Amino acid sequence: MSLNAEPARPPGGDYTLDAGLARTLAEIVGEKHVLSRQSQLLVYNSDGLPGYRRQPSLAVFPGTRDEVIEVVRALHAVGAPFVPRGAGTGLSGGALADGIVLLGLNRLKQIISIDVENRTATVEPGVVNLHLNRALGPKGLLYAPDPSSQAACTIGGNVAENAGGPHCLKYGVTLNHILAVTVVLPNGSVVTLGDEVGDHAGYDLVGAFVGSEGCFGVAIEITVRLTRAPEAVRTMLADFLTIDGGARATSAIVASGMVPAALEFLDGPTTRVVESSIYAAGYPTDAEAILLVELDGLVDGIDVDVERVKRICMDAGARNVRVARDDAERLKLWQGRKKAFGAMGRLAPHLVVQDAVIPRTKIPEILAAIHGISQKYGVLVCNIFHAGDGNLHPNIPYNADDAEQSERVHQAMREIMGVCIAAGGTITGEHGVGLDKIGYMEKIFTPNSLAAMCRLREVFDPERRINPGKVVPLHSCREWHATPAGRGE
Amino acid sequence: MARHASRTRGVTALTLSEIGSRVAGAAESGRALRIAGRGSWLEAGAPVAAGETLSLAAYSGIVDYVPGDLTITVRAGTPLGEIAAATAEHGQWLPLDPPGSPDGSIGATVATGSYGPLASAFGRPRDQVLGLEAVTGTGEVITVGSRVVKNVAGFDLTRLLVGSWGTLGVITQITLRLRARSDVERTAAVAVPARGPKLAAALATVRNARLAPLALELLSPEVAEGVGLRGGTVLLARLGGNDESVNAQLAELASLGESITASDGCWERLRALDAEMTATLRFSTPLTDLPILWDALADVSVGDHLILRHATVMRGIVRCLVRTPAGAAPPAPDSLAAVARPLESARLIPERLGAMWSRLAPSSVNDPISRRVKEAFDPANVLNPGILGAAQ
Repeated sequence: MSLNAEPARPPGGDYTLDAGLARTLAEIVGEKHVLSRQSQLLVYNSDGLPGYRRQPSLAVFPGTRDEVIEVVRALHAVGAPFVPRGAGTGLSGGALADGIVLLGLNRLKQIISIDVENRTATVEPGVVNLHLNRALGPKGLLYAPDPSSQAACTIGGNVAENAGGPHCLKYGVTLNHILAVTVVLPNGSVVTLGDEVGDHAGYDLVGAFVGSEGCFGVAIEITVRLTRAPEAVRTMLADFLTIDGGARATSAIVASGMVPAALEFLDGPTTRVVESSIYAAGYPTDAEAILLVELDGLVDGIDVDVERVKRICMDAGARNVRVARDDAERLKLWQGRKKAFGAMGRLAPHLVVQDAVIPRTKIPEILAAIHGISQKYGVLVCNIFHAGDGNLHPNIPYNADDAEQSERVHQAMREIMGVCIAAGGTITGEHGVGLDKIGYMEKIFTPNSLAAMCRLREVFDPERRINPGKVVPLHSCREWHATPAGRGE
Repeated sequence: MARHASRTRGVTALTLSEIGSRVAGAAESGRALRIAGRGSWLEAGAPVAAGETLSLAAYSGIVDYVPGDLTITVRAGTPLGEIAAATAEHGQWLPLDPPGSPDGSIGATVATGSYGPLASAFGRPRDQVLGLEAVTGTGEVITVGSRVVKNVAGFDLTRLLVGSWGTLGVITQITLRLRARSDVERTAAVAVPARGPKLAAALATVRNARLAPLALELLSPEVAEGVGLRGGTVLLARLGGNDESVNAQLAELASLGESITASDGCWERLRALDAEMTATLRFSTPLTDLPILWDALADVSVGDHLILRHATVMRGIVRCLVRTPAGAAPPAPDSLAAVARPLESARLIPERLGAMWSRLAPSSVNDPISRRVKEAFDPANVLNPGILGAAQ
């Protein structure tokens, strides 16, 4: 298994680009929106997760939905494999194209319609999450999923990854907010999955498409469900001198019947990294755990719940619970959380980011195990996570050019993932499998289950030309092909 | 945190490998299977061309329940009532209230994607199922999704199987997300205009009111009476939170219309109404078209048969219930044609239509992708063939 080191090259690496393809694509999208020189393509050789480098041989950036369709048809005509990409902020290496064509969707930025009364919006895939929310704000609405990268990431990318974010504890992940998707299949045909009305008869193909990591098709039009902006918001910061205290408070809040909008956990190392950066949020640096708790909803009764959260935290051993007095203080508290990844970038040039989810009652035990592993390998683990969901993000800053250090870091991370899996957890809660976690897939799914996933992928992409080599290990699909009974043809 | 004390072993008259063998045998012989839960809702769906029934009733019981995790893993034949009782002991619930009785199984609920008024706040089964185990049409056991509350590992076969009516796999085990109950819960009702622009205006006000209801259901007078409420067309609300927030919402609701005495029991009675019906049609509509659909369905007449309606206001769902007078024959399919197509923007989702389904609703799995999905998971077409309409 390899992690951030060099996993097996995806099959696209064998593909030889059709000589006339760049010219064909330029005729569709215009000369300046096709990149083929190595120097131009360099910026597309990584995504939000440092550690992987894969360079496309060609990148094409259509400007309209019709151009996307034409581009996909041109790629189909010559059998060219390709990788769709939004803003490239993903954290799994999922949008990397290794010697094949990169299809960038970030020029499709149009918010097609907002229906205030029916609480839906239809957007192109390149619309930035935050831009949609800025357009909705004055209408008293919001699009709930809020990944930390929301200032840059696109709705199309969010759909591909089934993105989460801090506020998914109360509002749900991307899946719960997508009503319909118009998709260009790899063969160039166009289908609309789902229905802007909401429920409909038949298979949940929208559910199957959301989170398919760009392996099923290219979304060109997405209809999302909107949420009424809450009347009142309260943000609290509780700090604890022990990790265990923070974990106990988390369990007690979740069990209380209150559903916080967000319940975020930062451990001591993370807090100290944030506070020594330009994103300093006023977190106490001597605490071993801080909880960021946000309540929202009707103004009536919200302060009763604030008092209750305070009491739960104090009973669990909090030293202090501070309630943000105004929006400026609220935003500052969130800024530290949202920019923590950036702050870690100051410590070392590279960062391993993980995304395991564990049962909520196992949080204290797993955090203790992670601490033990970090000591054993002499690495710094910064834990920052969506505690309410049990979605951990253990991060290790390191220098990939130091081979000995890299080896220790990757060993430690493998062991951390091992304890999360052993605790009944999963390997990714919101970042996706991509390239980064493909080596773990066989640890959580049986060969039959992986083969079934391959079968679903082949419904959409029988030639396996879109985002090849990602999500499901290639041999899992090969094994299925080896069994004639499994073909179902 | 302790595991659930009375962790049941369940009924073990049936094993997973037996289910696998039954399906594999069916696939080899080409003899189709009717997949059933506890058999309480067999007339739902279109008629199935199958000689044998594979019942999951004997594959029942809670497999794992750790209250602190707010998740539960159960076998498909487990009655909804058993889940409700086990979780209530810990102040929790599975907020899923499909039409029918507590004796209905979780497997059938999830397989048919059924839900009730609580979908208003908690969504549909697709939003609540975390993972499952199923036997595909070739007899292979697959385990998809996870047992934790957030998971994006691999392609989402969970969503594909939920609501597929047993046509892609026999769902054998399910992990679901639970919720902690609110401190305070109240049911309240107000009278609203029966129809027309006045109803439309009232519903628009309700949608933007200072309410965060767990459920908010519009009931036609007959349905209101059926759940024990007098006062014509009624808006029935289920509110949760702390004292202060619930009281504020009760006051907000009271400002919308004349208050009517209601109790928590109304919700159980609403679910139970299903048993008295000869057919149920569910419609999904844009929120603003809901009052138009509501009126259109009020104007339909089907001989002596009574058309009852209730609607999940915040989700754009309208249910149309057909009640046949005692001793009368069920309505002829053609007589229901007007009920099935009341409005261009409304999507029909048949619930209990039986033989009428194929006459009233086109196949919902006849598009190329759905056909290929079916071929991929049930190549011999032995799982509930025809229940979603025939693929051509």
